[in-house]
Amino acid sequence: MSVPVMTVPGESPASLSAAVRATDLRKTYGSGETAVHALAGVDVSFDRGAFTAIMGPSGSGKSTLMHCLAGLDAATSGSVWLGGTELTGLRDDQLTKLRRERIGFVFQSFNLLPVLSAQDNILLPMQLAGQRPDRAWMDAVISRLGLRDRLRHRPHELSGGQQQRVAVARALLPRPDVVFADEPTGNLDSQAGAEVLDLLRSSVRETGQTVVMVTHDPVAAAYADRVVLLADGRLAGEVHQPTTDSIINALRGLGA
Amino acid sequence: MRAVTLASIRAHLPRLVASTLAIVIAVGFVVATLVLNETTKATVLEAAGAQYVDTDVVVTSDSGSGLGELVAPLTELTAVAAVDPTWQTSVQAVVPGRTGAQYLQVDSVAADPQLRWQQLAAGELPTRAGEVAVSERVGAGVGDVLAVTVYTDEGTATTADVTVTGVVDLGGDPSAGLYGRAFSTPEQAQAWGATEPTELRIAGPRRTDPGLLADEVRATLSGEDVVVRTGSEQATEQVAALTGDATWLTTVLLVFATIAVVVAGLVIANTFAVLLAQRTRDLALLRCIGATSRQVRRSVLGEAVLTGLAASVLGVLAGVGLSAGVSALVSRTESPIPLSGLSVPLYAVGVGVAVGTLTTLLAALAPARAATRVAPLAALRPTDPVPFRSRGGVARLVAGLLLVVPGIALMAAGVVGGQLLVALPGGVLSALGGLLLAQRAVPPVVAAAGRLVSRFGGLPARLATGNATRNPRRTAATATALLIGVTLTTAMVVGAASTRATAQAGLAAAYPTDVVVNGNGTELPASLVAQLGSVDGVVATTTLIGGTVTGPDGWETWALGVDPAAALPTLRSTTDTTLPETGQVALSTWLRESWGASVGDSVTLTAADRSRTLTVVAGDSDAPLLNETDLGALVPDAAGDTLWLRLADDADQRAAIDEVTDVAGAAVPTAFVTGLASERAAIDEVVDVLLLVVTGLLGVAVVIALIGVGNTLALSVVERRQESGLLRALGLTRGQLRGLLAWEAVLVAGVAAVLGVLVGSAYGLVGAASALAEVGDVVISIPWLQIAAIVVVATAAGLLASVLPARRAARTPPVAAIAAV
Repeated sequence: MSVPVMTVPGESPASLSAAVRATDLRKTYGSGETAVHALAGVDVSFDRGAFTAIMGPSGSGKSTLMHCLAGLDAATSGSVWLGGTELTGLRDDQLTKLRRERIGFVFQSFNLLPVLSAQDNILLPMQLAGQRPDRAWMDAVISRLGLRDRLRHRPHELSGGQQQRVAVARALLPRPDVVFADEPTGNLDSQAGAEVLDLLRSSVRETGQTVVMVTHDPVAAAYADRVVLLADGRLAGEVHQPTTDSIINALRGLGA
Repeated sequence: MRAVTLASIRAHLPRLVASTLAIVIAVGFVVATLVLNETTKATVLEAAGAQYVDTDVVVTSDSGSGLGELVAPLTELTAVAAVDPTWQTSVQAVVPGRTGAQYLQVDSVAADPQLRWQQLAAGELPTRAGEVAVSERVGAGVGDVLAVTVYTDEGTATTADVTVTGVVDLGGDPSAGLYGRAFSTPEQAQAWGATEPTELRIAGPRRTDPGLLADEVRATLSGEDVVVRTGSEQATEQVAALTGDATWLTTVLLVFATIAVVVAGLVIANTFAVLLAQRTRDLALLRCIGATSRQVRRSVLGEAVLTGLAASVLGVLAGVGLSAGVSALVSRTESPIPLSGLSVPLYAVGVGVAVGTLTTLLAALAPARAATRVAPLAALRPTDPVPFRSRGGVARLVAGLLLVVPGIALMAAGVVGGQLLVALPGGVLSALGGLLLAQRAVPPVVAAAGRLVSRFGGLPARLATGNATRNPRRTAATATALLIGVTLTTAMVVGAASTRATAQAGLAAAYPTDVVVNGNGTELPASLVAQLGSVDGVVATTTLIGGTVTGPDGWETWALGVDPAAALPTLRSTTDTTLPETGQVALSTWLRESWGASVGDSVTLTAADRSRTLTVVAGDSDAPLLNETDLGALVPDAAGDTLWLRLADDADQRAAIDEVTDVAGAAVPTAFVTGLASERAAIDEVVDVLLLVVTGLLGVAVVIALIGVGNTLALSVVERRQESGLLRALGLTRGQLRGLLAWEAVLVAGVAAVLGVLVGSAYGLVGAASALAEVGDVVISIPWLQIAAIVVVATAAGLLASVLPARRAARTPPVAAIAAV
């Protein structure tokens, strides 16, 4: 089921329901003949308290979009808003502080610092920001993720699924405005992957966390409330209340 | 595979260049040492041996007599073209414009032009009595008239004017600056008191074989109590007498060069290990597509040999260039190190290239072996390096302890017994053992230091501690390189401080007075004492009275009387100079022998009808030294004869001595001033220069080690690109990332510096205590300020070494690091 893209006009920062949104976002590598348009004018908005998946074939620009939305990479033009803050134009240090205070990350691999214990890894962003975690909340997160007896372990002593759960805990602990997950199940077997996705979804359902996930796996995307489809650097459709089948159908429509 | 080796060198060239800097410096050091050593030898040989350069054979006599009679029989030999007896004496001379007299050593100029060796800077050599040529030190020009005073055996002085005909350039002769030299005709030298030739210099006809001529001279003089040497043998002898044992100097320098090479080897081994670790996937890919492990090893070693060779060639060039620079710099200044021109021995080039290449090859062996163990499958695995722990090393621990424990025992024995030859092997053993143990000892110390700095350094410091301890072997190797340099530098500084303190105590004992003014038979008026007391730099004066007494042997002798209370403040040491109380007389060993009295005996001194019986104490002055009251009782008209002056430590001592000379000369024309302070200062200066040179040499090892710290960090930065990216994504600012690397560098360098200073101080004290025991009482001195400076400089330099890698790390945008998976 593919529907026309619903865009939110950029002039209305009052659209409070959006946690993150981008208007006419462009990212170009190189110039002239050899220029590659990774993002060719994307307008997109992600609702607060929702679990959204970004999908698309390889080279569709989904990772670039996420990097730009998360303040990891600067767009060539267009603007990105995180709540009421415009990211485009912020200096490196301001972006860095914004990331550690308001954004959580879960990457595909190499999520944890090998020299730190699981607990230190979880606390890392808050310590970087010089904040103390809320003990009750921290206990809740750790219990929910089943990490209680793994806190003292170093990453290489943990299984892939455990490592990824530590990364999820780290992302959730500061209660960020949004958690970006980049192929969080890419390196996991299906059972560990399902556990991680369940955790992400329950954090949205139970605590109202906003999660944006980039994936190319329709099964993973089916955990989301909405799927945004990307192709050749442009939005190519959306699927609401997706199922694996509806996503595969939508992707087929893209010619992927 | 050759193509792979070359391509790999090309690809990693920038990194290899940085890594091999250590080899370039070490080889440069070795080559500079050899070249400078050769140049020094050539310079000294040329300068100190100048008088023997055109001489074929030299005849000397140990008893110092009988040479005069040998001239005639030698001249008759057909193989001898000319014989020149050298006459040597000394005079006091007053240079126009100066009132004080100076001591001149007078040598005769050969009658035969072939045997004249003096190089004239101006004018010509004297041809008749009443003429002299002088060395530059005298400070007279051509045409000046010198007032020369000569004392006969009876002690009467005759003064005559002589004209300066020329100024002689003594070149790099190390003794040229110590005292003035004059050159006169043989007749003039004899008229001034030379009674016997000091040596006979013999020239054969052109192209004579000096060895054969020496044999013939030896045959002719058989039965005489003389030594016959060829000119070059005599020159070498002279040089050895002047510079001490020349091989000793070379050995010391080569020890430092070896240290630099060892440190460079450690740095290179570490660099190769990291470089290869980063290329694990490349190497595994090579194995995947069919390279055998032997081919991989050969490729890696080939790369090592080629880089080592290139770095060595650069090092040789750098070493020769450095020597040229040093030589040019030194020859322009007044320096106790004789250097002029440049002698580059071929063996220095060969040794440099061989040492550099072999060191690199040896250093690469272990990493190469590890590289060949790469399984082809590693190419296909994701790179998620598991932090590895250094394995076992029990053998290393045992071997280290087996070396350290007996080493320390030997050093303790050496200190207790004052035996350097016992302490030295102990030091070597314990140092080798310490190197083995360092691999185990350093990582825990770094971890402990890390916990300490984590308290106040915040998260970056904590992460840095984790990073510094995650690869213990690499951290240990990096720190060990620095540890060696710091240990040796500290040992040297501490050892030298104690050596210096001990030497100063010895010097003060040998030269207790700074300046001595002697009336030479004329009374020194009290007004002079007051005048000299007000000279800038003079802090204390005392007058010694002089009078003639008759000793127990019946001979009249000049005796001095001192007031101990007034004299004490002018003396720097009373270890060897005893100030006699009333009823005592201080006699030198020589006087005690000739009077047949030992310490504690009584001797009776008489003057006219007065006599006094005094107890003998040990002294070291030429004249008997009495208490002022005793001499005053014996010789009621005894008057001021000698003044002892003490100069302020921070005064310009040379200027003060010159002024004292002028003031004394104006008041009492016969007054003679001896500035022992300048002698002490000169020796002090030599110790200072030596210390500076040695510290500089060891500084090279420290610099190489710091390059190693920078290298390891730079390579770690590349290795941890993803981590840096992750940290940046999670909110680590650029400044914090730089801080992280700075902390890591400070941890490694700081731990190495502190450990090195501790171990080095121990070595320095042990060395000083055991080496100086035979010289006299050891004065232990610990230069706290310098030690603190070593720690601060090494740590700060480590910090500096992190700047470039940190900038590189901070420049990486977070997304680039994450995307590079």
